[in-house]
Amino acid sequence: MALDTLYQAETPEGIALALRPAGLVARAQAWAIDFGIRLGLFFVISLVAGIAGGLGAAFLLIAYFLLEWFYPVVFELGRGGATPGKQALGLQVVMDSGLPVTVAASVVRNLLRAADFLPFLYAAGAMALLLRHDFKRLGDLAAGTLVVYRETVRLHGALPEAPPVAPARLLSGAEQAAIVAWAGRGTRLTPERFEELAQLARPVAGLPAGARGADLTRRLLGVAHWVLGHREAQR
Amino acid sequence: MTTARQFEAMYAATWAALERLLDEAEGGAKHYDGAALATLYRRSCEHLALARARAYPIHLTQRLESLTERAHRQIYRPQGFALGQLRDFALVDFPQAVRAHRGYLLVAAALFLLPMLALAWASWRDPGFILHLLDARQVRQFDAMYGPGPGGIGRERPADTDWEMFGFYIMNNIGIGFQCFAAGIFAGVGSAFYLVFNGLFIGAVGGYLITRGHAENFLSFVATHSAFELTAIVLAGAAGLRLGHAVLAPGRLGRLAALQHGARDAVVVVYGAAALLVVAAAVEAFWSSARWVAPAVKYGVAAACWLLVIGYLAWQGRPEDARAG
Repeated sequence: MALDTLYQAETPEGIALALRPAGLVARAQAWAIDFGIRLGLFFVISLVAGIAGGLGAAFLLIAYFLLEWFYPVVFELGRGGATPGKQALGLQVVMDSGLPVTVAASVVRNLLRAADFLPFLYAAGAMALLLRHDFKRLGDLAAGTLVVYRETVRLHGALPEAPPVAPARLLSGAEQAAIVAWAGRGTRLTPERFEELAQLARPVAGLPAGARGADLTRRLLGVAHWVLGHREAQR
Repeated sequence: MTTARQFEAMYAATWAALERLLDEAEGGAKHYDGAALATLYRRSCEHLALARARAYPIHLTQRLESLTERAHRQIYRPQGFALGQLRDFALVDFPQAVRAHRGYLLVAAALFLLPMLALAWASWRDPGFILHLLDARQVRQFDAMYGPGPGGIGRERPADTDWEMFGFYIMNNIGIGFQCFAAGIFAGVGSAFYLVFNGLFIGAVGGYLITRGHAENFLSFVATHSAFELTAIVLAGAAGLRLGHAVLAPGRLGRLAALQHGARDAVVVVYGAAALLVVAAAVEAFWSSARWVAPAVKYGVAAACWLLVIGYLAWQGRPEDARAG
């Protein structure tokens, strides 16, 4: 069973995209920002409408209606695929397939906010969100949409420098990937933990059993560089 | 086999070009090279598949992944509305969708009309009956609205009040329509509730006002816009029932797939219902309340509107061959 909440979506080109659905807290924050913006807009409109009498009142009521129901639709169909609040948190609304959200889907998911809101304060939506691994509220379920993080997090950075070393034996693809991934996490782990993990790959480094931990780490980093294709300082 | 480093060196220029193009496209540039974007996107798909199959380091795969995802979003971005689509919607899609939901429509109409008629009859028989539903203060308000007094509805009023009422009807009534649809996701119970509730309320108030002798004021006010408003509420409720049915009895589809399928179809009906409610709001604000129009004229217009709405929903937009046959 997968522990993370990645959501696999396949493109028409046969490429699987890994989407990362956004959870309750991020979405609540985005909603709060949007709520503030809507409130501000409504305030500005009411200042303008106040001058215009009955016609202004009509305008104000229609503006309220549009802000309530169509504010998110307009932004979701735009280039960013997200309301300003979602944009601020790096979120985006996409279809299950990873495609941009369609008009019908955006309308459905926003009309169903009325159902998600019941019985109070989006309780139904929050329940649905918490019960599912892909964090969909009722509107998302009916429309077939997902709220995802726009950028994927980077757990692995560039490798620390080390002279390339040929591995002591032939490595399978999965082993190569594991060693490179280990090396890529060098800047995020404490040196002790980094060395401890390196111990697991001791046979690959081709060092005698008594060698010091730091040497092993350095050598294994070298193997990682060698796997990536560095060859110049080969010994 | 090409090592990750060689791979990166070989294609770095391609990826940088794609990145530049994406920045341009996402930044809202009107004229970027779409053909180049499509080409580069296909290449990055290829590279991503290779990088995954060869287990290249994650920083490389992730860079490709994020490039591919961004390009994918740009390439499959839905294009804007065209006026033609709107015309097709009004002339074909909406009436056809309504007819496709015939069964739900019947149930929704029954859920709405039966309580309405029953309560209209009950409160026509017994004027006190309405007090089971409303308190005396609200009843007095209705009396004042439809009675002959100066505060009554349809008094001669300045035009900007008409506009204000138009705004109010838009905000309130369309919101109710949307709720009627949305609540259907709870196995249809929500939609049924709103339909029955509205039916009971309208029936009780209507019956009461008629028995109190305000029949002409009341009927001449509601007759015209009810053609659009009541139809729209029943339509929204029917769309909601469709959602509920998909949840309850998904048939051969998965429950979720059935729900999405149902929502896609039903939302067309909801668009139409919203449009009808806009019409209803305009009629209610500018025509129904006009006291200078004789009741007889209003009844005539109302009958025409009812025929128009029913005829439109029942016959508009049939395919050519069906009409010929």
